[in-house]
Amino acid sequence: MSLLELKGVSKIYGELKALDNVNIHVDKGEWVAIMGPSGSGKSTMMNIIGCMDKPSSGEVLLDGVDISKESSKALTDIRRDKIGLVFQQFHMVNYLTAVENVMVSQYYHSMPDEEEALEALGRVGLRERAKHLPSQLSGGEQQRVCVARALINHPELILADEPTGNLDEANENIVLDLFRQLHDEGTTLIVVTHDPEVAEAAQRTIVLEHGRVAREVINENFGK
Amino acid sequence: MSKRKMFLRMITASLLRRRSRMLIALLSIAIGATILSGLVTIYYDVPRQMGAQFRSYGANMILVAKEGESLTTDTLQDALGAIPEDQLVGATPYRYVRLDMTSRQQSFTTAGTDFTEVQKTSPYFSVEGEYPQAENEILLGKEIADTIGAKVGSYVQLTWRPVVTAHENASDDWVPNARLSGSAEGFNAGIVVVEATLDEEGKIATLDIDASSQTPEIGGLVETDRNFISRFIGQTLPVSLGEDVDAVSGATISSQAVVDALNNARSTEKGSAAAERSGYFNVTGILVTGGEEESYIYMNLEDLEGLTNDKLLDVAELSVSANAEQLEEYAKAIDGSDAGITARLVKRVTRSETAVLGKLQALVFLVTVVVLLLTMICVSTTMMAVVSERRREIGLRKALGAPDNSIRAEFLGEGMFLGGLGGLLGGLLGFVFAQVVSVNVFGSSITFQPLLLPITLLVSMLIAALSCLLPIKRAVAIDPALVLKGE
Repeated sequence: MSLLELKGVSKIYGELKALDNVNIHVDKGEWVAIMGPSGSGKSTMMNIIGCMDKPSSGEVLLDGVDISKESSKALTDIRRDKIGLVFQQFHMVNYLTAVENVMVSQYYHSMPDEEEALEALGRVGLRERAKHLPSQLSGGEQQRVCVARALINHPELILADEPTGNLDEANENIVLDLFRQLHDEGTTLIVVTHDPEVAEAAQRTIVLEHGRVAREVINENFGK
Repeated sequence: MSKRKMFLRMITASLLRRRSRMLIALLSIAIGATILSGLVTIYYDVPRQMGAQFRSYGANMILVAKEGESLTTDTLQDALGAIPEDQLVGATPYRYVRLDMTSRQQSFTTAGTDFTEVQKTSPYFSVEGEYPQAENEILLGKEIADTIGAKVGSYVQLTWRPVVTAHENASDDWVPNARLSGSAEGFNAGIVVVEATLDEEGKIATLDIDASSQTPEIGGLVETDRNFISRFIGQTLPVSLGEDVDAVSGATISSQAVVDALNNARSTEKGSAAAERSGYFNVTGILVTGGEEESYIYMNLEDLEGLTNDKLLDVAELSVSANAEQLEEYAKAIDGSDAGITARLVKRVTRSETAVLGKLQALVFLVTVVVLLLTMICVSTTMMAVVSERRREIGLRKALGAPDNSIRAEFLGEGMFLGGLGGLLGGLLGFVFAQVVSVNVFGSSITFQPLLLPITLLVSMLIAALSCLLPIKRAVAIDPALVLKGE
């Protein structure tokens, strides 16, 4: 059963076709990597899937709802309820502690629950760092906090934008292990990357070139 | 944890952990609030402060008796009941009479008054020496002192003689103790002159006859005939020849002239000798004002009453610390009361007071508004800088699903929290500021207005909130997608 489906999606900025008639679908529980060189339309696609932008044409079905026609307010609600975001630059609120950063996500979603937030930090191995400010955490630790923040509201879809782009190999492995765990639990993962190693961790890789889907690769080694 | 608790936690964390930027905003609000509460305090205190200052220019209300009524210490007290005690700076009674200075054979206008009150209603009086304190002490106007060559420590004798107006009928002069003089035509158109004094009962006590114009051996005998003269003693005027006294034999015409002269007799002086009162007074001070006061003698009302033997007042000068409308009101109340007194305002003083106060208050108001505007600009600029500094964070919050209202609430919350804190700080500092200004400019302290603190707090929060409107608009417009672009 598909969670996400893009049907003939195009995004045009003036003369530039950032996305050109893209058709993809992602099943519930699937782990998909999106690859492509700079300017291939990765970011535009990411924005559209992340409910932060609308396509110029085409349909985007998320959990059966066409989000391409929704107002930006409705998109905010959908993003909050269904999507967990992980960014390359980590992006934490720099004056809030690790646990508070996780709670911010709860705050906008439903109810802040410190216990639950601490548990989520425990899952990423940072329970004892909960009271630290971002400036007191390493890059890897910050990204793990962001993963905890992304999963705290049990989203249908975790959308990660170059999650390991700024991490060393050890931390990259930790984050990928976390993704594996989430995948095992049935969470749908879409990871945008240009790191082949990260892409290989996924079940399937969609390669974008010049705003089009160039090819799709099934990772036969997945799970081995 | 409730949402509200998390909201407060985020706001306080933002303010406390990002101190330097917020400190500038806080400082500008605090300074604005300080000026606001300080100037408002002064604004409301200026009339009181300046009122006290203005009172140094003298009385602003004059009380006199109504037509046919008289002003006394008692009726004055009744009239003063119309003015609240705390607004009445002073009320000085004045009684003006002419007193003769025996040594100079001159008379001077003398004011009986209350020197304690004089110092309140006429604080510009400058006295060389001291104000009289004890009985029989006086203040001499400089002009008089120069004229008579008196100095502090000199003694002068002052005499009061009642003013006697010329009576239409001679008989009105025939009062007890009167000195009388009269004349009448006698024999051969000669004039006979008599001088007489009356005793305490108004009867003739002495009689002196000048009949030198009469025939010496006939009519002239009226001068010397003891029998004739003694018959007049003890008689009450008018006398008649043949009933009260008998004529000197052979000199009926001259005798009739003596009787006529007596029946014409008028008082020879303004006051009778017995009604005069005098005393010796010690000059304790010389009054220098540069005005007409320098030609007066001032003495205690009690001393003057001792001379005149009555308790009348001519006028009372009041210094009232009130604005023009209040003064009108008090004047009306005094006119309406049954004390028989009418009140007049010294318009020259009250008008200029009102005008100056109005201008001062307008100035203070203007400065306050300008300061508040400057505060708003400063806070707005700071918050604008804060928004651009926190673009990424705002984008992140929106990416995490923060609705626009939530972003608005967070910034407004921070702004109002700052406003409240700055307002509290400024409210307290403002009192100190007002106190310093008041002491240095007006030379008196002010009272703390507790109501001003919550008002300052609210105004500061409002100002902060208004200052946040534009920055918030900008914050809301931030695109959440910026967090994805790996900037």
